[in-house]
Amino acid sequence: MTAPSDSASAETPAVRCRSLGVSFGAVQALRDVSLDLVPGRIHALVGQNGAGKTTLAKVLGGLQAPNTGEVHVGGRKIPPGDVRAAQIAGLSMVHQHFSLPPSFTVAEALELAAARKDGRSFFRRTELQRKWQNEVAELGGPTILSTRIRDLHVETRQSLEIVRALAGDARILLLDEPTALLTPAATDQLFERLLRLRDNGVTILIVLHKLREVAAVAETVSVLRDGELVLGPSEMAEVSEGQLSDAIVGPASGADRTVGMAPAAEAAQETLLELAGVSTRESAFELGLNEINLRVESQEIVGIAGVEGNGQRGLVSAIAGLTPIADGSMRLGGVDATRAGPARRRLRGLRLVPFDRNTEGISRSAPLWLNQSALRLVGRHPRRFPLISLRQYKRQAAEAMDVWRVRYDTVAQPAESLSGGNVQRLILSRELAPGVEVLVAAQPTRGLDFSATNFVRRSLRELRDGGAGVLLVSSDLDELFELSDRLLVMYGGRIVARFEAPYDRRTVGDAMTGALR
Amino acid sequence: MEQILATTLRSAAPLVLVATAGVFAFRAGIFHLGLEGLMITGAFTTVAVGDATGSVELGILAAVGVNLVLSALYWWVIGPLGANVIIAGLGLTSIGLGGTAFALGAIFDKRGSIFTDVVLPRPVRGITSGAGVIVSELSILVWITPLIVLTAWVVLRRSRFGLRLAAVGEYPFAARSVGVNPSIVRLQALLIAGALCALGGAELSVGALRNFTENMTNGRGFIAFVAVIFGAWHPIGAALAGLFFGFADAIGIQSQINITERVPREFVLMIPFVITIFAVWLGGLWRRRSLEAEAGYAELREPDY
Amino acid sequence: MTGSLQRVASTVVLVVVSLLLTALILWASGYPVGDVFSGIIQGAVTATGASTSTIRWAIPLLLIGLGVVVGFRAGFFNIGGQGQFYIGACCALAVSLGWREGPAPLVILCGTLAAIGAGTAWSLLPGYLRVRFGTDEVLTTLMMSFIGALVLQYLTAGPMRNPSGTGQTAASERIPDSFRITDSSGVSATVLVLVGGVAVLVWLLLERTRFGLSMTLVGRNPTMARWQGIDVRRVGLAAFALSGALAGLAGAVELYGPGARLVTGFSPEVGFTAVVVALVGLLTVGGTVVAAILFGGLQSAILFLPIVTDLPPPALVLLHGMVAFLVTIKFKAVWRRTGPEAKAAAG
Repeated sequence: MTAPSDSASAETPAVRCRSLGVSFGAVQALRDVSLDLVPGRIHALVGQNGAGKTTLAKVLGGLQAPNTGEVHVGGRKIPPGDVRAAQIAGLSMVHQHFSLPPSFTVAEALELAAARKDGRSFFRRTELQRKWQNEVAELGGPTILSTRIRDLHVETRQSLEIVRALAGDARILLLDEPTALLTPAATDQLFERLLRLRDNGVTILIVLHKLREVAAVAETVSVLRDGELVLGPSEMAEVSEGQLSDAIVGPASGADRTVGMAPAAEAAQETLLELAGVSTRESAFELGLNEINLRVESQEIVGIAGVEGNGQRGLVSAIAGLTPIADGSMRLGGVDATRAGPARRRLRGLRLVPFDRNTEGISRSAPLWLNQSALRLVGRHPRRFPLISLRQYKRQAAEAMDVWRVRYDTVAQPAESLSGGNVQRLILSRELAPGVEVLVAAQPTRGLDFSATNFVRRSLRELRDGGAGVLLVSSDLDELFELSDRLLVMYGGRIVARFEAPYDRRTVGDAMTGALR
Repeated sequence: MEQILATTLRSAAPLVLVATAGVFAFRAGIFHLGLEGLMITGAFTTVAVGDATGSVELGILAAVGVNLVLSALYWWVIGPLGANVIIAGLGLTSIGLGGTAFALGAIFDKRGSIFTDVVLPRPVRGITSGAGVIVSELSILVWITPLIVLTAWVVLRRSRFGLRLAAVGEYPFAARSVGVNPSIVRLQALLIAGALCALGGAELSVGALRNFTENMTNGRGFIAFVAVIFGAWHPIGAALAGLFFGFADAIGIQSQINITERVPREFVLMIPFVITIFAVWLGGLWRRRSLEAEAGYAELREPDY
Repeated sequence: MTGSLQRVASTVVLVVVSLLLTALILWASGYPVGDVFSGIIQGAVTATGASTSTIRWAIPLLLIGLGVVVGFRAGFFNIGGQGQFYIGACCALAVSLGWREGPAPLVILCGTLAAIGAGTAWSLLPGYLRVRFGTDEVLTTLMMSFIGALVLQYLTAGPMRNPSGTGQTAASERIPDSFRITDSSGVSATVLVLVGGVAVLVWLLLERTRFGLSMTLVGRNPTMARWQGIDVRRVGLAAFALSGALAGLAGAVELYGPGARLVTGFSPEVGFTAVVVALVGLLTVGGTVVAAILFGGLQSAILFLPIVTDLPPPALVLLHGMVAFLVTIKFKAVWRRTGPEAKAAAG
């Protein structure tokens, strides 16, 4: 264990990369990125979605071969895209997505990850558990090693990911957005653990999203924008928050920032969506809903806040009619819809922007026009002539997409050829077409860049002002504060708190973590 | 009763061997419908080479060799070349069935079947009464099949290789993130599966019988595949399922002898297929439950590797 | 549109490669490849009655292949066409033999409907298990296929056996000649109109109805379809039913057309070949018509070949296997080689 060093600048950098470039087809994910990381410190890497943070982390970790440039770890050059070599050089990565196979026991998962060569090819289970017991305890991981990964809590999994990453005696730790799924309390715990590791001489590069978190843990910060390194690594003390956010967003779009609430309209309101005491059965991977009461009226946006995995998915899917309502009732536009199927709810004006736009919102391989016209296929029309005109379908789809400014070449191209923002525009062009009464928007801006995010938020506001009701489910508090007329907080499958503007971040946060009871 | 037991062992051995092959493929994430084809090439090559050289060992060695080559080709087509696993697997089965029947005509100038003098050694000898007759006819492969299953269990469940294999099948990203190349691991799994299919085929042609007949596997590769699902992808489970199907087969043979007057033969022959449908259904129910538990992960899965 | 052109080109290349590989095997086994190929041309096109024979063999391949296309469209592998075909033929036979004295058009109609119903039932069972319980349909359709073959074997060897029949394989009694819609060549105007009409109807259904479009969406992304309010189960069941109905219809056409009686294990490869046909036809109706004629020609040729050379018929199975083995290769995967995968989104 080396002590943390003050004269760090003289040492060989823990990680050094030179003029890295990565392109995916026409998209340049990284261009000419050069970076030196001083050993024994916590470095933050920030940037918008799509700025290239994960790509950079993957290149450094050897999971992604760069098109140009090279990576050195601890002074040694790493062959491009060689995970093993990077691990042997002492670098290990904690992924944004969990990387442990769900059916494995803790001990098995750690054994899989260990890059050491001393292990024998065969093992006994008890022996394996003994071997890893100490290591896990030392690093504060879960203590029962015969538990299967899928049975662990999110926080435990996260800490296990770190144990896994350090299992091969890693001296350099890359963490790719580790806080995305954590509660504020768990995030604090994670940061404490990182600081301890730093004190033990581990160099840490952490990819973060939120400036608050950067300020809480990082010693230096680097900013990526559009695949370029635009700032850093700079000492945290030397950059102001304003400088940072300008670097992240870029100079041009600064003027476009809109904060603050639009005043709620005062016109006569009718209840468009009403859930009364709705409960659903718990499934193996989703919390059941517990006595949900909520109302969405015309001309209002109701926000649903909560840490992910507290029943938001179940709520949206129950409203959509994909999860049966076990108890309680639901009304759509004043008519009972508790037992109505998805198609009937759609026909009554329910529109959905699902959580995962690439798997639930579009069919990636189907042509644009078919994706756009999907809602026209719903329901039976026995009276109508059975044959349809594709030309008409395509023309109308093209018109709708033009109105929503989807950028495309032909209506026949597959939807996967669109960028994230354009996919969301495509979905909005379908769901917000005339006929919408209530829109349930789940994480509508996740993963979108700044301008696309603004576009979506503006669209939701316009929809509300046009008289529709919106239920907005989001894990981005800033977004909820900006858009919601009312805010409900979900925790453990219940609605635990209701707020009216102006919102207090602290109280809402407490409700989200269950601290407010 | 003893007779049924002995017949069960004989019917089950090839099934268990091929089911073990299927477990390796399945654990690596490959829906291997080429088992039937590999099984029959194994059966044919053993007879052809065994007959030519007069040595059953050489025959089996050649069968393993041929199957390794075919498995490597299968891997190449579904892996690097991106072909559909199911269609290419069925194609492999057709190549096996058609190729062996064609070769039977081309090499031996015969249609239907050929007899052979080579036969696997039979360790238990000299019993001439009752069920012992069948026991003494069990080949060495039947006796070492439990050993093979046990080895498969150790390799799959108690070795680092097994961990890598399971990680590749369940969650390729996990494998990649620790520096394991999923494609290579899949190749290894397919090669092991190919070799085991060769043994299963050999048992069929020179263990239980002394001939090679066109289409002699008669769907056994598919039934072995079902045993894998029925056995929850576990080597022991699959072996037990294989035994069960062997038992059903044995009953079928028995009842053919005893009650063929009253129940048409075809209905007896249908039993394994009907059971199989039930098995796939039940196996699917079981798997779905475990899959649901993992769906939270599946959403986070990277597209494909 | 360059995308679909590319797919056609790559499929043609892969079929040719399969032919060449099979030719290589024949050559290595000492068969005169030149003779075999000229024999194939003769047997499929030029010899007397060859083109009729090609059409005769193309018809079941086309009907079952269309069923496979429908299944694939909705995302299902119905590989049990063989059994659905057999069971359809059996039911048509049962109706025809049971009502020998009936008026021919009515008997044919009833028999055909029975065949369609039986084929539907045969594929609806796996279909129901699939949409209701998620039971893998590849295995269940395959098992149903084996069972169908045994039912045929039972009927032809048992209750419907022609007692005066000689020959090694069991065969059923013949249906009255008045029930037949073709002569023994298996091709007549009636059959051509019927099959052509079915192909057009299937095309209209798949490409020009809202139901066909929903089927496409379900096949490509059932999750998205469900979020859109499409009843995924209903669409899936309908696809299975239609798929089986087409195979059952093929059985009726076989009986009332060239067959006139059923023989144990007749046309044993037609189910699997139809899958290959659908794939070579790029899972489109038009492509399947072309591919069915191509493979019908090969089938016709293999029956003709013994006249020119002593090639064993299983060579055809080998060829079909070769095509299936290779035909789904994605050329993109070959061309892409190394380099970052476009799918792993930039972070």
